[in-house]
Amino acid sequence: MDSITRRHFFGRAATGIGVAALGSLLDQKLYAGGALEGLPHHTPKAKNVIYLFQSGGPSQLDLYDYKPKLKKYQGTDLPDSVRMGQRITGMTSGQSTLPVASSRFSFAQHGKSGAWVSELLPHMAQVVDELSIIKTMHTEAINHDPAITFFQTGFQQPGRPSIGAWVSYGLGSENQNLPSFVVLLAQSSAINIDQPLFSRLWGSGFLPSSHQGVQFRSSGDPVLYLSDPKGIDRGDRRRILDAVGKLNHEHSQAFGDPEIETRISQYEMAYRMQTSVPELMDLSKESQATFEMYGPDSRKPGTYAANCLLARRLVERGVRFVQLYKRGWDQHNDLPRDLALQTKATEQADAALIRDLKQRGLLDQTLVVWGGEFGRTVYCQGRLTETNYGRDHHPRNFTMWMAGAGVKRGTVLGQTDDFCYNIVDKPVHVHDLQATILHLLGVDHKRLTYKYQGRHFRLTDVAGEVVEDVLA
Amino acid sequence: MPRVRCSVLIWAAGCGLLLQAQKKVDFDREIRPILSDNCFQCHGPDEKNRMAGLRLDTREGAFAARGKAKTLAPGDPAESRLFLRISAENKARRMPPPSSGRTLTEPQIALIKRWIQEGADWKVHWSFVAPVRPELPETKNAKWTRNPVDRFVMARLEREGLAPSPEADRATLLRRLTFDLTGLPPTPAETAAFLKDRAPDAYERQVDRLLASPHYGERMAMQWLDLARYADTHGYHIDSHRVMWPWRDWVIRAFNSNMPYDRFTVEQLAGDLLPNATTDQKIATAFQRNHMINFEGGAIAEEYLNEYLVDRVEVTSTVFLGLTMGCARCHDHKYDPISQKEFYSMQAFYNALPEKGLDGNWGNAKPYLQLPTPEQTRLLAEVKSGLKATGAALEESQVKPLQTAWEAMARLAPAPADGLLAHYEFEGSLGDSSGGYRYGRLAKGDVTYGGSPVGRGLVFDQPSQVDFPGLPRLERDRPFTVSFWMRSGSNRAPGVLARVEDAASRRGVEFLLGPNKVLGRLKEGSQLLVRLSHAWPEDAIAIRTRSRLIQGDWYQVTLIYDGGGVASGVRLLLNGQPAEVDVERDALKGSIATEKPWRVGDADIGLPFKGAIDDLRFYARALAGAEVVSLYDREPARAGLVIAEDKRSRDQRERVRDYYMRFGAPDDMRVAWAEQKRLKTLDEELGYEVLNVMVMEDGKPRDTYVLGRGDYQNRKEKVTATTPAVLPPLPKDAPRNRLTLARWIVDPANPLTARVAVNRYWQLYFGTGLVKTVEDFGSQGEPPSHPELLDWLATEFVRTGWDVKAMQRMIVTSATYRQASRISPEMKERDPENRLLARGPRFRLPAEMVRDNALAVSGLIDNRVGGPSVYPYQPPGLWGEVAYGGVFSSQTYGESHGADLYRRSMYTFWKRTASPPSMITFDAPNREKCVARRSVTNTPLQALVTLNDPTYTEASRALAAETLKHGGRATAARIRYAFERTTGRAPSARETAVLSDLLKQQTESYHAAPDKAAALLATGESPVDPSLDQRELAAWTTVASAMLNLDETITKE
Repeated sequence: MDSITRRHFFGRAATGIGVAALGSLLDQKLYAGGALEGLPHHTPKAKNVIYLFQSGGPSQLDLYDYKPKLKKYQGTDLPDSVRMGQRITGMTSGQSTLPVASSRFSFAQHGKSGAWVSELLPHMAQVVDELSIIKTMHTEAINHDPAITFFQTGFQQPGRPSIGAWVSYGLGSENQNLPSFVVLLAQSSAINIDQPLFSRLWGSGFLPSSHQGVQFRSSGDPVLYLSDPKGIDRGDRRRILDAVGKLNHEHSQAFGDPEIETRISQYEMAYRMQTSVPELMDLSKESQATFEMYGPDSRKPGTYAANCLLARRLVERGVRFVQLYKRGWDQHNDLPRDLALQTKATEQADAALIRDLKQRGLLDQTLVVWGGEFGRTVYCQGRLTETNYGRDHHPRNFTMWMAGAGVKRGTVLGQTDDFCYNIVDKPVHVHDLQATILHLLGVDHKRLTYKYQGRHFRLTDVAGEVVEDVLA
Repeated sequence: MPRVRCSVLIWAAGCGLLLQAQKKVDFDREIRPILSDNCFQCHGPDEKNRMAGLRLDTREGAFAARGKAKTLAPGDPAESRLFLRISAENKARRMPPPSSGRTLTEPQIALIKRWIQEGADWKVHWSFVAPVRPELPETKNAKWTRNPVDRFVMARLEREGLAPSPEADRATLLRRLTFDLTGLPPTPAETAAFLKDRAPDAYERQVDRLLASPHYGERMAMQWLDLARYADTHGYHIDSHRVMWPWRDWVIRAFNSNMPYDRFTVEQLAGDLLPNATTDQKIATAFQRNHMINFEGGAIAEEYLNEYLVDRVEVTSTVFLGLTMGCARCHDHKYDPISQKEFYSMQAFYNALPEKGLDGNWGNAKPYLQLPTPEQTRLLAEVKSGLKATGAALEESQVKPLQTAWEAMARLAPAPADGLLAHYEFEGSLGDSSGGYRYGRLAKGDVTYGGSPVGRGLVFDQPSQVDFPGLPRLERDRPFTVSFWMRSGSNRAPGVLARVEDAASRRGVEFLLGPNKVLGRLKEGSQLLVRLSHAWPEDAIAIRTRSRLIQGDWYQVTLIYDGGGVASGVRLLLNGQPAEVDVERDALKGSIATEKPWRVGDADIGLPFKGAIDDLRFYARALAGAEVVSLYDREPARAGLVIAEDKRSRDQRERVRDYYMRFGAPDDMRVAWAEQKRLKTLDEELGYEVLNVMVMEDGKPRDTYVLGRGDYQNRKEKVTATTPAVLPPLPKDAPRNRLTLARWIVDPANPLTARVAVNRYWQLYFGTGLVKTVEDFGSQGEPPSHPELLDWLATEFVRTGWDVKAMQRMIVTSATYRQASRISPEMKERDPENRLLARGPRFRLPAEMVRDNALAVSGLIDNRVGGPSVYPYQPPGLWGEVAYGGVFSSQTYGESHGADLYRRSMYTFWKRTASPPSMITFDAPNREKCVARRSVTNTPLQALVTLNDPTYTEASRALAAETLKHGGRATAARIRYAFERTTGRAPSARETAVLSDLLKQQTESYHAAPDKAAALLATGESPVDPSLDQRELAAWTTVASAMLNLDETITKE
């Protein structure tokens, strides 16, 4: 059995903490640092990552990948020469036709870069010069479960560590009072259908479970079991911990097992978290201007906007990897209405996060990644009318963007065909994106490995090339 | 470097070398691991990707002639290309190349050099050679050794110049043993009895007592559930429930009855194929159905059929053979001699299961075995024979000519026409067919026409509104009837049909659906509401159906109003029958008249309607009940009859048939029809109610192919079922099925099976297997720390007829196991992981035992063995925040009540995508995949669980109450009482002093704030003993909590 005594929850602990030091633990950075030997492999551009995962598959056709020529083909069957026999999901494979549905939203060019942005993204349009927009993402999965698992773990089937867990494992933590990998789930909007999430998406797979993402929650305890039970106040808690610490120390002297000393310090860490986490989650000291920037939702705990604001607070405090999820991007039908609801709930906060990080000088050290598990089809799912359409899953090309540390500003990468169905130039695979994120963190994706079942596993499996074109 | 990464190299190069500096280099232990980890990737079994034609994993390859040069020249490193390349100064020549990401250290290179100098001895990988029972080694210290295990351990210690630790004190030993054999702590009485028992075999009798405990089976099953990836949900996507606990019960029973391991294996892999297989033997095969199952909308069945096969092969290989066959899914194995073709040949054993690929949206996926109660057995038999009898009476060849003749003659009475104001048939238009020349009008959005029970109907699949103008006003004092068919397709609460003045007064009449509710069995539905208002809500009549209209089903809805102005005169019929309704308001005084038209999908008064409407009729009178029945019964039949029999939809055929059978057929057929309907309903009901469990069975075998890169779309060569060539062959004449595979696995000639099993038992007790990589006995796995001991145990296991209890007894009665677990500073440096076994095991309890211990020592535990999974305390919202929801099961957590809150943790309902948080925090796996080895972490989140989880707060309170009631009067006695329960030993004077101090302070704290005491005691569902002083109880609760949080409490010492 593998006993993790030297490297714990928040990185690697120094050995041999005497209980005499108990009181002074509070001001020691025992858990700071703690990268694996030899890591980072090169000078990192990014210290932190905020990954804004848009679950369901946002429609690239209606957001960033402008296809003016589609109007001409509106309602006509997708040509076989474009589809080229590619597999499609069981939801549309039975349709007698695959009619082209052009976007009903208007697009305009913005910023110095002149990137085309949909009218659904008025705030994002204003920060477009901060972005590297990748129009040519592609994946191998066509259903939510394998597709999102692929993005988050590098493999379509369960069992592998998530990207945040790999980062925590490789680079450790910057903060002694907070975990290195934090997960924020936005509450359901209860309007759009929310595809499920799975704890494996932030799980540690075969890595030690101390690297799994810690969910910070907007209702109940912000971290599970963080609050003392009713009827135990801070004084009671301190006294109980003091007694536990003394007895554990006695025992440690007798038994000599370093695990006991570690446990003592973990109890102290827990005690500190009881203060540091609520302080972090408390947005009351944020300025009026900040709330205005993130939008009115940001005052409501658990919204995507509030989580974006929290993400900034987390990276301010040195949390290495912040993983956000926003569900509800699965517009199989009623796309014009539901996509608008979805962008309304998110895009102002996305833009605000970039601005906010920039204002505070954090954007230079923070990598922000936005995107879903696949894109959506140019052909309509269900009935196509003048005002309404739906789109099925499309893995062959879709749009993501990156911003911040080490990322080229104001660029659009890659070219898709007129039907937004195939990549014409500069494909970027899921593993390429993962390799790039690790690269910006100073990690060579081929060298961050973990031996399990005899194999040296890595996030990018057996593939992945750093996308040089998005690097500043 | 963290210990978790202490791999083969560190072990061999660190511990091994240090200790055996002068011994000859051991190829198996020291050289092969280096070659495997650094060279086999390109020079190993994978033929397609082999570089330079050089193969280093076989003797033939490593010593093959390569022109003039030799890869290995025994005795002469300077002539050995292998050595020259790994030590080359020129970076371009040096192996392994930088692109491989591997590098050799100087000590490794030196070791290889020395190995070549010593003659480059080569052996076949140790685990592929069947174990030969070794002689027991002689030891200088013969007094210490109690059984053969100790001979091997002692011999090794003596070689290392080490002495074993003394025996652990008796209390610690009993606690260790009780946890190890039952997963529970000993009771104070058990400890006391053992401490008193001075007989020489006192300990052995404890072992026998515990091996006979029903909790022994639970403890052994805990490990097996991880290996078998047991869970209570399907795992993929929606992750709804499944029912596999009957298999879990089988595992517990199998261990408790000491089923031999060979039988245990055969029954789980192929119990169904045994001659005259019993129900239990079939249940056993659920083992290979525990894998995840998908039914995500739009997913492709083929893809998942393949994933299930992959999982079964991986599990077979990991659990029984300790091999990583999964590595050969995409290409030949990089390290072990397992080709890609062999991987798929193993799949072929499992590829006859009649499964669907996408299944399980309500409970178990087919095939499954029904496990009815005796009463259900009787009912199932009744259904079966009844359906047979009615089927015979309703033979299609007899019914059809009669029905055809009837259809030719049938003249169905027309629908009531008296007082008919308008009739919209929606057969492709919005026109009124009653002769009134009225037309409905599309006011918003768009509609289509689609099938309904009465022809075609009006379909609303997007927010739309249709108006029906021109009908006379409705008056409070005049009767009227509104009748229509409807199907609701929305999961929100929409308006359906309404004629109202405006959203504020809602003057008029409206039909609405209430909020949607999940009804189970994949159904959801809403109540139907009808309102007649003058000014809503104060001046109105409102009724609401008690039953819910199931979403997606068609209903005939009729509202009959007698013009009396009171609710009793408002009658609502569903499918021709009066609906049971609740009258919510009965205060209509004003007029209900409005000039506005009737509307479907009026966005002003409700959410847009989604679904369909058909056969909309308005009457200026109150219809009689029988007339309404005809609208429900006769109109669908009429709609069907006008269509030629072979053109009818299935629904139309069924409705015509049903009408004929009820009204047109001869009496005996009518009776049989009614009986058949009853039986079918009962059958459906039983289908939901009868317990079942997913099992293996063989149907028609599917073809199995090698899949290029493991992709189901990329079929290559077709293969047949067979096992890897590196292992002994299958018997020639045996059929190539699962039973043959299972028997091959447990054939004593198989070099792996027994070793893998005993190694895992060793891990149970010592935390680390003799082979640390319990899941990998291949060349990338770690060589055994005590190879002879492993082989002795493996051969002994087979010799005893795979006697599982005897094997446990052998290990736990050894002197090795009975050592104290104290660590000297010297040994902490020399052997931090205790691989030499110079001390007893000491490690944190597994997740389940951490909780079970708290429940047990506090007396809360419910010790029932087996049964369905339960739902202990869990913070609210954990499932909901990730779940899909909708009509599916296991989307929200419903906490148990009463005794189920205190069942052992192995019975906690295990949802794969949101696993029990306090278990996961203590390193339990999420059960998506087979896990043979848990990590053991030590984190602040664990502290938060045992400090703040209500389970532990309640356990602290219960332990405090027990202490106050049974622990005597004096504080010291009470502390001793509670401490003994939590740690199994008496506290020292120092420890008692610390806890007394805490008690004193806490007593003051709660005396000063009695409210706080009450708040603390309110945690948990179990009642608080009112006879106890609440402040005292609260103070003791915190003291008990301190004890439950001691490192010692959650540690096996």
